[in-house]
Amino acid sequence: MLKAENSLGIIFFPAYDWAISPTHPEREERLLYTQDQLREEGLFDIEGIREYKPEVAETEDIERVHFCFPEAEAIATRSHYISTGGAIKAAELVMQGERDRAFALVRPPGHHAMKTVLGSRGFCAINVEAIMCEHIREKYGQKRIAIIDTDCHHGDGTQDVYWHDPDTLFISMHQDGRTIYPGTGFPKDAGGPKALGRNINIPLPPGTSDAGFMMVMERIVMPILEDFKPDLIINSAGQDNHFTDPITNMNFSAQGYAALTKMLKPDIAVLEGGYAIQGALPYVNLGISLALAGVDYSHVCEPGWNPETLKESDEIMKYIATLCESIPNIYFNPPAKSNEGIINGDWSVRHRNIFYDTEGFTESQTESLLLCNECRGLLKVQTQKENGPMGFGIEIPIGACDKCRNTGYSILEEAQVKSKYRYMQMINRREKEYMRYGF
Amino acid sequence: MLLLGIDVGGTHTDAVALGPKGIEAQVKVATNHDDLLSSIKSALSEIVQNTDASSIKQLNLSTTLSTNAIVEGRFEDVGVIVSAGPGLDPHSFMLCKDFHVIPGSLDHRGSETKQLNNLSLEEAISSCRKSGVKVYAAVTKFSPRNPAHEKEMELAIGDNADFITLGHQITGRLNFPRRIATAFYNCAVWRVFNKFADAISGTLEEMGLGHIKVNILKADGGTMPLPLSRKVPVQSIFSGPAASVMGIIALCKITHDSIIYDIGGTTTDIAIFVGGTPLIEQEGINIGSHPTLVRALKVHSIGVGGDSAISILEGIVRVGPTRVGPSIAFGGEIPTLTDALIWKDSCDCGNIGKSKAGFAAFASKIDMEPDELADKAIENAIDKIHDSTRELVEEINQQPVYTIHELLENRRIIPRKIYIMGGPAKAMKMDIFRKFRLSTEVPENYDVANAIGAALTRTTTEIELFADTERGVMFIPSLGYRENVPRTYNLEAAEKDAMNHLLAHLGEMRVAADGDNALITASSSFNMVNGSTTVGRNIRVKCQIKPGVVRTYS
Repeated sequence: MLKAENSLGIIFFPAYDWAISPTHPEREERLLYTQDQLREEGLFDIEGIREYKPEVAETEDIERVHFCFPEAEAIATRSHYISTGGAIKAAELVMQGERDRAFALVRPPGHHAMKTVLGSRGFCAINVEAIMCEHIREKYGQKRIAIIDTDCHHGDGTQDVYWHDPDTLFISMHQDGRTIYPGTGFPKDAGGPKALGRNINIPLPPGTSDAGFMMVMERIVMPILEDFKPDLIINSAGQDNHFTDPITNMNFSAQGYAALTKMLKPDIAVLEGGYAIQGALPYVNLGISLALAGVDYSHVCEPGWNPETLKESDEIMKYIATLCESIPNIYFNPPAKSNEGIINGDWSVRHRNIFYDTEGFTESQTESLLLCNECRGLLKVQTQKENGPMGFGIEIPIGACDKCRNTGYSILEEAQVKSKYRYMQMINRREKEYMRYGF
Repeated sequence: MLLLGIDVGGTHTDAVALGPKGIEAQVKVATNHDDLLSSIKSALSEIVQNTDASSIKQLNLSTTLSTNAIVEGRFEDVGVIVSAGPGLDPHSFMLCKDFHVIPGSLDHRGSETKQLNNLSLEEAISSCRKSGVKVYAAVTKFSPRNPAHEKEMELAIGDNADFITLGHQITGRLNFPRRIATAFYNCAVWRVFNKFADAISGTLEEMGLGHIKVNILKADGGTMPLPLSRKVPVQSIFSGPAASVMGIIALCKITHDSIIYDIGGTTTDIAIFVGGTPLIEQEGINIGSHPTLVRALKVHSIGVGGDSAISILEGIVRVGPTRVGPSIAFGGEIPTLTDALIWKDSCDCGNIGKSKAGFAAFASKIDMEPDELADKAIENAIDKIHDSTRELVEEINQQPVYTIHELLENRRIIPRKIYIMGGPAKAMKMDIFRKFRLSTEVPENYDVANAIGAALTRTTTEIELFADTERGVMFIPSLGYRENVPRTYNLEAAEKDAMNHLLAHLGEMRVAADGDNALITASSSFNMVNGSTTVGRNIRVKCQIKPGVVRTYS
């Protein structure tokens, strides 16, 4: 009988009745063959591996993280509530000590959802990992968390949510943004003025395979994690770096994903993208699950896998080696100034236009952080969907000083009086108060 | 017209003859472990003496034969030939010495991704032949999607085998390690079971009962005809608890979420009903330490029963889980739960005087009032039953679901009623009621509920249909049925086909096919998309004859 070295909880929620559209990559059948493979392997009969039912997230879980306009219920479907609830269940299993590790094999994904959400972009509506992490912090106290995003696309949503948070280390390794959606994710994005060096982007050239990814793990990710000493490691386990993925250009394999997971030792893994639903997902998910549980995965490989033909060229390896030289510096010697935002009085202000590709509209957004010497600083966001009504969000962060807290409430009051905004939302992490106005 | 039911249990063999108005004859004899046939014979002859043999129509038999053979290791060597492909190392599932892994693989859609290596297959068979193996299990990964490799193995084994089990014939459900174990055990008990089946047929002839139809009970609360059981003897294991549960269905009108207790000598079996229907184990039961695909009612056994010994550990009175011997009332040495119940005058059985004297002596030895000891022992037993039940219900409520609709609609099980049977049932009724505060019922004839359940259980079967319209095939693994279907084949057609094949299969087993009891338990259709065009549908339908009884006496 096989026995898991680390007890593992798997929350498997394939949402067999939800799709973006009938032929969209994010559709009902996406996890069907994964389920067949896991069942046929008898994964849940391995001692120490157990399957759990997801919970349904509360609107408060979402509104603790996101400014949602017009409101959370209008943006997140039931499926998003469950997929997020699945990640929360994974967190609870680990935090309460019922399981050593957990894997939320849920859909839809979430890593393209930013701090402010007006709709769906990159197949994502709400940020599953961020909602899970903030649920953990609300319930179990302030934790140092590292989120390692191994999806092929830059985790621009997670980067945005944690841009100003020095207690969250976000590392995204992805196909170079010059060649793929969403076109971002370069090393110069090191984090906001209060969290410099906490955002690490590793853009990899198309064609990167197992050796390239492992070099990045050994030379960039692991040394930084060793120094950051997180309480929790979260893996945004996208699987579209796979050599058969239809919408990306990488050469990663099931063996590679399993080896990466073994090295990273995440406490919680959450499924992100990955759309080679027949040729990759069944094997990659099995590999990740076995690696998490500490069970031998050496026989897990795709039918068409040939490591020789997938191997990266010397040129690619040389290029990755140069990245490995320079990128750790961003963490160990962060730049003095953030690459984004201009200083306007006490505020650091960013103005951005954000395109929502899934729904096809552009958001115009102004985000301001109150530069405070006592705490992370008050955050306010003014947003407008094309010519739609304006929304306004204020966040008093965890550990906010009295001044930032009081400023937050007076700005809110002022905004209410001026009635310039149709929708307003207040996130007060200090007193755990979450309010919204307007409809 | 009489229906006979016989339940061969660990200690007793119970038999009943049921007529339209109820029990016409009932017998309880001691089970002779080394000769089950003699126990069945003596129960049968007593029944026949008390009834009109010519009016007997059917005998349903629940026997521990296969279970005992497996538990006691009295089975023959099996040649297990598997092929796996990518995934877990198949050698992890090696459960006997003649275990051979052949290169070759199929993927999750049943496509061949690597040919079966014939040379290696020949070597495996010749090695089995050298060690004198006569029965073979041939199992490949994803054979329920495509049995081609298992059939190749069957062809290659050919005359070397007296009997071969192919994995896909067991069930269409996926789980490779369980399929290996199930096929292995099916082969292991095949010969011993068939000898027994021959003996039963012979015995019935001798007794002038050659005309009656014989069914063997399965663990899922249904039966299978004797001729079919000869090919799938593994399905006859652990049918005892199911017989009791089916008995309760016949004796009580169960409509609510309920808990069923069968309190025996060494264990208490706990079963859960949702609405009026018993729950089925999601995948299958464990045999020894090996999980299998043998479908079974969900029955959880705990080590608390009438014969469970009372012990004191660190000042706490405990009952079970061990059985040291019979109760003092029945000539034992160490006081048991039954003796505690006798002390409290809840139970009237065995030698009351001796039991009470022994119980009091034990109490004084440990410096305790016998009343206190009895109360604490009973409380401990009830607490154990209570806690295990809570855990079981919680576990069932935690079972995964896969669609948004199921998750949001999913209702939790909240037991409203308790049914108790088995020896100490009456004696423990009030204590259980006080702990649970739920309506508690002990049916009449609770002591032969198992035999009644056996007698009235109807034939069940399940099939899984799998269709891939891109390939244009429809396939029912357990029937070995394969058909070409047009690209327009859809879920509706698949459901119809599944039901038709289910009923036709019953017809082949010469069982009156009753469409009312047939139901679809799962059905789904997924568009398969390549690029951005839909290339076909992947359809799965499961249907079954639901477990039930042919008539009730409530």
